[in-house]
Amino acid sequence: MLRVDSLALAYGATPVLEGASLEVPSGKFVSLVGPSGSGKSSLLRAVIGLQQPLAGVIETDIGAGDIGMLFQDDALLPWRTAEQNVALGLKLKGVAAGTAIASARQWITRLGLYGLSERFPRELSGGQRKRVALAQVLAREPQLILMDEPFASLDAIVRARVTQDLVRLVELRGISVLLVTHDLEEALALSDVVYLLSHGPRARISGRYEVNLPRPRDVIKARSHPDFAPLLQRLWNDLSREVGERAA
Amino acid sequence: MNPNTAWLRKTVALVILIGVWEACADLGYFDPLYMPAPSKVAVALFQLFAQGTIWPHLIATFSAALGGLVVGLVVGTVLGAVAALTPLVGELLAPVMISLNAVPRVVLAPLFVIWFGIGVGSKVALAFILVAVLIFFTVFTGIRDVDRRLVERVITLGGGRGALLREVYGPSVIAWILGNLKVAVGFAFTGAVVGEFVAATKGLGYLLSFAQSSYNAALMLALVVLIMGFVLLLFGLTGLLERRLLRWRG
Repeated sequence: MLRVDSLALAYGATPVLEGASLEVPSGKFVSLVGPSGSGKSSLLRAVIGLQQPLAGVIETDIGAGDIGMLFQDDALLPWRTAEQNVALGLKLKGVAAGTAIASARQWITRLGLYGLSERFPRELSGGQRKRVALAQVLAREPQLILMDEPFASLDAIVRARVTQDLVRLVELRGISVLLVTHDLEEALALSDVVYLLSHGPRARISGRYEVNLPRPRDVIKARSHPDFAPLLQRLWNDLSREVGERAA
Repeated sequence: MNPNTAWLRKTVALVILIGVWEACADLGYFDPLYMPAPSKVAVALFQLFAQGTIWPHLIATFSAALGGLVVGLVVGTVLGAVAALTPLVGELLAPVMISLNAVPRVVLAPLFVIWFGIGVGSKVALAFILVAVLIFFTVFTGIRDVDRRLVERVITLGGGRGALLREVYGPSVIAWILGNLKVAVGFAFTGAVVGEFVAATKGLGYLLSFAQSSYNAALMLALVVLIMGFVLLLFGLTGLLERRLLRWRG
């Protein structure tokens, strides 16, 4: 479980977040949506320890080694092959080199990259690189994954496939997820809970939405569920109000 | 134009240039004292090897250049890395290196002769200073400009300072150094030859100085061709090393 309470963040003298609170219960998929610049990515960076909060509490019963992070950019080491990139995550967790490589190969195959183990990142497509980055995180068997719009740069078909694979694995292994996204439909299709962040500066959580769609979930079919459209409408209206109030 | 036949076009252009030069020399358009025919230059070059007189000079220049190159690579890398990773050292060292970089460093050659004598030491020192400053800035900026996303990636995977050095900074710096290795090889030879030119008892620079004082333009051109040939050979080897070690870059 991850609990963020009254979190305040700033970039230099510019306040970004103020009093932001949310919870990611064990095994739940939680999304955070909000206007651009509201501090969504900063919140994730604070949780993983890349940014120091000004105030507030970040509590979790999960060890640092069991939290994975997927960035907007795949950020794979260009001088390492796909297999070495995946194995690196394991080696840094203390797994022996031989075991790490064997496990990396299994994860690469599991994520549909069979035969691409020896390729360098530049020799892979955008979707394949995302899968390698996902394999790198999943191979470590994390209990919580933080995702900062990891699939934003992918085309619609590849994005649907990669997210479906992710949801399948997350559901199967009971992994908790905190996803930051601009895409409201994606947030609802994937999540159990969606938080709405108000417009910055001094952004705060302005809404919480329970998504009671059945699991295991098909990320495409979920969008045609009768509960989906009303929820999307509500979320859209609230986000529009946030942006509108700011513009006014 | 077909890129696969570029070498053929270049070779033909070179042959034409040499042919025109030879014809002009034969027809008396060029004074042989200043611009001897290519055939005369070839004869001078052949005699250097046939008589065996070139070998001690070649060995002297190569020793000085390679010595300066190796020491310059090591010292430049260590200083660049320490300066980039330790703010205090960076603050103290960067202005010194910037000052050294601002002046043409070959002006130090006479000073090195006073300090290290006319032997190989002063030539190694000049080659070293030329290479070390170049490599210092290569490593210093390489580490400072390293991709922050990769650093954060390794940190979020649980990597500490050692892992960052091994997985991110090390490979990143090696890539930068290999990218500048050709320039470093050129600098090393410049240092060795200029050092020999200033004061020496052997070496290609010494031979050049001798050829100049005896007004032997054919020998001078032969030596220039020889130095060019060896540097190009080293460039080729450096290119091979670069392609092999940086194959991830394509």
